[in-house]
Amino acid sequence: MNLFPQSLRKCLLACALLLPVQLPDAASVDDSWADVVQEARGQTVYFNAWGGSDRINAYLEWAGKQLQSEYGVSLIHVKIGDIAEVVGQLEAAKAVGRDTDGNVDLMWVNGENFAALKRNELLFGSFTGLLPNTAYVKQAPSITHDFSIPVEGLESPWGGAQLVFIYDSAVTKTPPQSAIELMTYIKDGGRFSYPAPPAFHGTTMVKQFLSELTDDKAALASPVGEADFDAATKPLWAYLDELHPMLWGKGKSWPTSGEQTRQMLDDGEVDIAISFNPNEAAAAVKSGQLADTVRTYTFSEGTIGNTHFVTIPYNAKAAAGAMVAANYLVSPEAQARKADPEYWGDPTVLDIDTVPSEMLAKFSEIDLGVWALPLGSGKTLSEPHASWAQALEAAWIERYGQ
Amino acid sequence: MPHFVAHGRVLAALAAIGVALLFTAPLLIGLTGTIAPAFGLMPELAPGNGFLQLLEDPRFLPALKLSIKTGVIATLLVLLFTIVALVCLHKTRWWRWMLAALPPLLAIPHAALAVGLVFLVAPSGWIVRLFSPWLTTWERPPADWVVPDAGGWSLIAGLVMKEAPFLLLAAAAQLPRLNVDALLKIGLTLGYSPARCWSRLVLPTLYPRIRLTLFVILAFNLSVVDMALLLGPGNPPTLSVLLLSYVHEPGFRAAASAGALMLAVGMAAFFVAVILIEKSIAQVAKRRRESGHRGHGIGLFRQIGKYSVVALILCSVFTLVALLLWSFTQRWRFPAALPDTFTARHWLGRSDLLLDPLWATILFAMFSCVATLVGAMVWLEAERLDAVKKIDWLWYVPFFIPQVTLLFGWQAASLITASDGQWLTVAYAHWVYTLPYVVLILAVAWRELDPNWNNAASVLGAGYWKVLFRIRLPLLIKPVLQAMAVAVAVSVAQYLPTALLGAGRHNTLAIEVVTSFGGVDRRVIATLAVLQSLLPLIVFSLALLIPAAMQQKQQQHS
Repeated sequence: MNLFPQSLRKCLLACALLLPVQLPDAASVDDSWADVVQEARGQTVYFNAWGGSDRINAYLEWAGKQLQSEYGVSLIHVKIGDIAEVVGQLEAAKAVGRDTDGNVDLMWVNGENFAALKRNELLFGSFTGLLPNTAYVKQAPSITHDFSIPVEGLESPWGGAQLVFIYDSAVTKTPPQSAIELMTYIKDGGRFSYPAPPAFHGTTMVKQFLSELTDDKAALASPVGEADFDAATKPLWAYLDELHPMLWGKGKSWPTSGEQTRQMLDDGEVDIAISFNPNEAAAAVKSGQLADTVRTYTFSEGTIGNTHFVTIPYNAKAAAGAMVAANYLVSPEAQARKADPEYWGDPTVLDIDTVPSEMLAKFSEIDLGVWALPLGSGKTLSEPHASWAQALEAAWIERYGQ
Repeated sequence: MPHFVAHGRVLAALAAIGVALLFTAPLLIGLTGTIAPAFGLMPELAPGNGFLQLLEDPRFLPALKLSIKTGVIATLLVLLFTIVALVCLHKTRWWRWMLAALPPLLAIPHAALAVGLVFLVAPSGWIVRLFSPWLTTWERPPADWVVPDAGGWSLIAGLVMKEAPFLLLAAAAQLPRLNVDALLKIGLTLGYSPARCWSRLVLPTLYPRIRLTLFVILAFNLSVVDMALLLGPGNPPTLSVLLLSYVHEPGFRAAASAGALMLAVGMAAFFVAVILIEKSIAQVAKRRRESGHRGHGIGLFRQIGKYSVVALILCSVFTLVALLLWSFTQRWRFPAALPDTFTARHWLGRSDLLLDPLWATILFAMFSCVATLVGAMVWLEAERLDAVKKIDWLWYVPFFIPQVTLLFGWQAASLITASDGQWLTVAYAHWVYTLPYVVLILAVAWRELDPNWNNAASVLGAGYWKVLFRIRLPLLIKPVLQAMAVAVAVSVAQYLPTALLGAGRHNTLAIEVVTSFGGVDRRVIATLAVLQSLLPLIVFSLALLIPAAMQQKQQQHS
């Protein structure tokens, strides 16, 4: 039984070599997949994933039950505050030579954390070519590249996301349509704040401001080391210097998360909430957390969007189980439930046209309501290269973190 | 017979030394695991120079200042509150009522109290809602303040609410021993105002007796993590919280360890400073005492003091009520004074959300309760048999090492031995943090119990175990149950040991409340916090009711 991970890794390596060009031929995938499923039965998969959302937690609870009954895999959601912590844990594990039987089998990542895992060789290997459900996944640049870093099968896409804003149409008649309009809106007495970086929503908000304000938009697609950081970010800091004293908390106190801005919107402490889920408002209205007069929108020139993934660490104890779980998470069944605001409301990574028609019904049943971002609206801006996040966070803390 | 006694004493000594070793080993390992990386002695795990990394972080100095500010001010306010309560409430009809109200308040877990406080005092919180818009004219929450605030005052308020009952109870417990009534009578007869009777006659003898408790409180306030996460500023946070974020940041463990070490050393420096300040105050006080000024009793001052004490207690009660209301809320929009619509679905609809952390919490609490009771009994029995010496200072050690300092190292050790994330590792940490309370509570009763009970039973031919279980334990049932209740309360409130050693796998209620704050549905957090508060309240009630019921039963028999 212990031989398996090594042999599996070899097989995956072979897949990885083929993957960028074509998927390995169906028969061999089927065979090795059957081996994986057999190996996975009875395994316990520790899935380290952000645990800050009640509905996401409930969704994973459901996914765990399905995995248990269909594959005999126990999925345990290890709730964490920030996946960067797990990256740190893995680095520590590698440092002390804990190269097998690790604590984490599957983890929810993207962007700079994926970049760090890949750079430091903390990943299991290229495995997505093995997953049957990968066949339904969209072929889009935002899925083959994670914050401009090539994915190369090292992580399996799980959901799409875009920065959106939620406002109460009973309070705010015309919400601001750009960073510049936001400034005017706040000057006129509008209430707003954003979480302090490195909180995820805060960093994204800063990236959004930067994308709109910088004079050197092209630089954002390349590693930050290749750009003139000071010149590219100068308009950003000028903007934030002026903005901060007018924010909720006067630029000294900050919301801790995007979810908190949603709560603050409902309390009336701010006018605009920040979310990375175009359907969050719909779900929040249905569960009684927001008034039914709220609406979701993006800035007219677009907002930052990306894909989030699941991946397997290099020292995973239950790698086979983790693959079965990753495969289940991109199944049409799991993706349809995930896209439904009743449960989560996270946009799917599947190409609906490739999904077999008998599985399609669940997608068409989804009712987004008037509260979610209307389908088709909302232009997406690309994430800056993964290396920008850390540089921006450090510079932000240097300026405003003391 | 003498042979047997000697034999038993050796066994008792061995068992007690075993308990002491189990208790001290993690303290030593933890400190080593923090000191070594701080000085670059564990380069694989913690590369780089931690002290340099720390000083290079622009957040370090502000975080340090914030920790000192919140810790010192909160401790001073706790002391002030205790003195005001003693001077203004003692001998009034509210005194007994207050003493009855304090223990349940003390049992409320930090995290639950903190969450409730935010619900209470935020601009959109319950207090503003109660008075808006009819009194304040606010149709929307005011934008004049925010909670948590950047100055750390929300954190200070939370710390005072949590720690003031602790010191006041410790002080109240000392009063009968000091013969306070007689002292006050003498002072009043000599014409001193009531406040001066306290400050000149009682406080100088009382203070040395509550000083250790005050130091425990100062240590806690300077290094607290869970309350600082919930009520403290985020940017920069307090030093402990900043250090905790380092532990999770790749490549920053050396800085985390160095900072934790500095925190411990800084704390020791604070104790020295406090002792020096005490000395100079004592000198000034002595001179003033001998001056013979009687002072004027100012009734208004006493009234203000009285009401501020009552206000603080009511505030704690209201945080609980606010939590309870939110846990049954469907919609509750500003500025309604009460929820618009109620629901029970947070309690009934999602049992997995509540039951899993509840079960995890109960398992650790039960383990802590039983294992610390066994540990404490082994130690105290050995002490009684003269098999070991009395070493009460040992049990105070964990109170005076900041939790981050001990646990960073313990976590590093658990990483190396691959014991992190295991249930037993976390349970062990709960045991270490609970044992001191249980030993110190039981020690008083254990030592005071009249040895004649034992002797009489032994004369009648009862063996050691029979005497222990049939005579001593039933006689000590009250303190034993109280100690067990305290063990449960302490275990239920543990955040940092569970978070650091549990590798995120043991989601107790404390973990759920702290990690989900700010993100998860407010109503769900309120439900979790109510549940977390209920556990200690239930066991404290049982600890009161069981002995009473047993007594009643005995009376019926006789």
